This record gives sequence, structure tokens and C-alpha cells, in this order.
Amino acid sequence: MGKRKSLIKIKPKKYKTGEVVKVSFMVMHPMDTGMRKDKKTGKIVPAHYINEVVFSFNGKPFTTMKTWESLSTNPVFTIYFTVPGKGELTVVYKDNQGEVNEKSKKIKPKG
Amino acid sequence: MKRRSFLRGLGLAAAASTVVVPSMVMAAEAPKGPNAFSIDAAVQAITGGKPVVASPKVHLKAPEIAENGAVVPVTIEVDSPMTEDDYVKAIHVFATKNSNVRCADVMLTPANGKAMLATRVKLGTSQDVMALIETSKGEFLSASQNVKVTIGGCG
Repeated sequence: MGKRKSLIKIKPKKYKTGEVVKVSFMVMHPMDTGMRKDKKTGKIVPAHYINEVVFSFNGKPFTTMKTWESLSTNPVFTIYFTVPGKGELTVVYKDNQGEVNEKSKKIKPKG
Repeated sequence: MKRRSFLRGLGLAAAASTVVVPSMVMAAEAPKGPNAFSIDAAVQAITGGKPVVASPKVHLKAPEIAENGAVVPVTIEVDSPMTEDDYVKAIHVFATKNSNVRCADVMLTPANGKAMLATRVKLGTSQDVMALIETSKGEFLSASQNVKVTIGGCG
């Protein structure tokens, strides 16, 4: 499948140490439920969904999520996060077919 | 007598097969972990029988009418100080009438600063979206909202 497209957005763009920011993580994923039929072949598309998302800062996980197929296609996860200082925010996501991917973004607080 | 007992046996077997087979199929398809197909059983598995209180502290935002069930934005916010002593431990999101009622379990820590989750869910039909909150004190709070779906998002 190759690497999936994913994106981490932080709002607001400029922030200081100790500020609470919004972190959105978007990923392109089919999130198949295992109930849909392929219109061309008539075969049931097997379930394929993200089942674990872990947000960590400098290697320390601060938010873990367990997810199921009831989430939409190309899901978005938005949470708040207090900026502790300089470092790297990493999101690791796994799916039920054994795919493991990660995306990271550098955190550079100003002031 | 023989005919009667035979028929009774047949009826029982038929009843048993109709009851047993779907549940067996469900059990085979069920993912591992505390996952259940009914909302009550799912809530029971998480709370372990503790009372769930509908609380005004939990704000669940979802559209009243969703034109497309495949993408329904849901935002859950909880009034909580998020300190080491008192924070929101977990947010569980349920779609009460989907074939798998569980959408997401989010485990938060005090590092989050604010207890909030925004995501997008799939809804098969018009139903209640429910949020179950677990606090660090062991309390369970909930909030739910009905969403009317014009086009289902499953299948």
C-alpha cells in the first residue's frame, strides 16, 4: 500500500510554552466496515480500519485511542495539548491488517 | 406418541438452530476485547456495573440532521480542570444503533490541558450518539444526542 497520506495541524500557528493548543491529526484511510460490497466484482470488501492511535511528545505517550470501524472514511482526530517546550510530536497509528505508520511534527514554541 | 415427541424434538431443534447460529456468527465476527453488539452490554463492559450519570458538564455537539451518514462530525467537550488530582481519564464514543456500537475510546492525561475530542463518525440510520466519560475519581458521566440521518453511511 505504501505510505498513507497524513497531516498534523496545530492551532494557533504561533504558540508559547505552557499554552494549550489544538492538535488535529488527519489520515487518508478507507475505514472499511467489512459489510460493503464492491460494486464491480460483487465481493465483500474485508474490514480494514484503524484500531489504535497514539499521540506522543518526545517519545512519551500522552493520549492513546482505540478506534473501531464506526469512524468515517479519512478520519480526523482533534484533541487539546499543553505545549511543554521544544520537541517532537509523533502520532503512531495501526490498523487491523497490521499496517503501522507514523507522522511527526516539530514543536517550536516562541517565548 | 412417537410422532408427537419427534415433532416436538424437531421444533426444538429448529428453534435452537435459529437462535444459536446467528449468535455464533456474531461471536466469530466480534473483534477481541470488551466489545459488544448492544449498547447496554458495551456500557456495562466499561463501567463494570457502576452508575452512569447524565451530566451537564459533558457537552456533545453533533448535527441534528445529517444529510450524509458517512461523515458526521461529533465534538465532545468536558468541563474539567485537568489537574493531576482531577482529570478526565477516558472519553468513549458510541453510535447506539450501528452494528458495532463503539466508535472510539480516547485515554487522556493531564498533559492534554483540556478535555476535548472532535472526530467524524459513520451512522447507519437515525440514532443517538452517546458519550461516556470516565473521570480519575472513578465517576461515569454521559451525554447523548439524537441525529437524524437522511442517507445512511454504512454499506
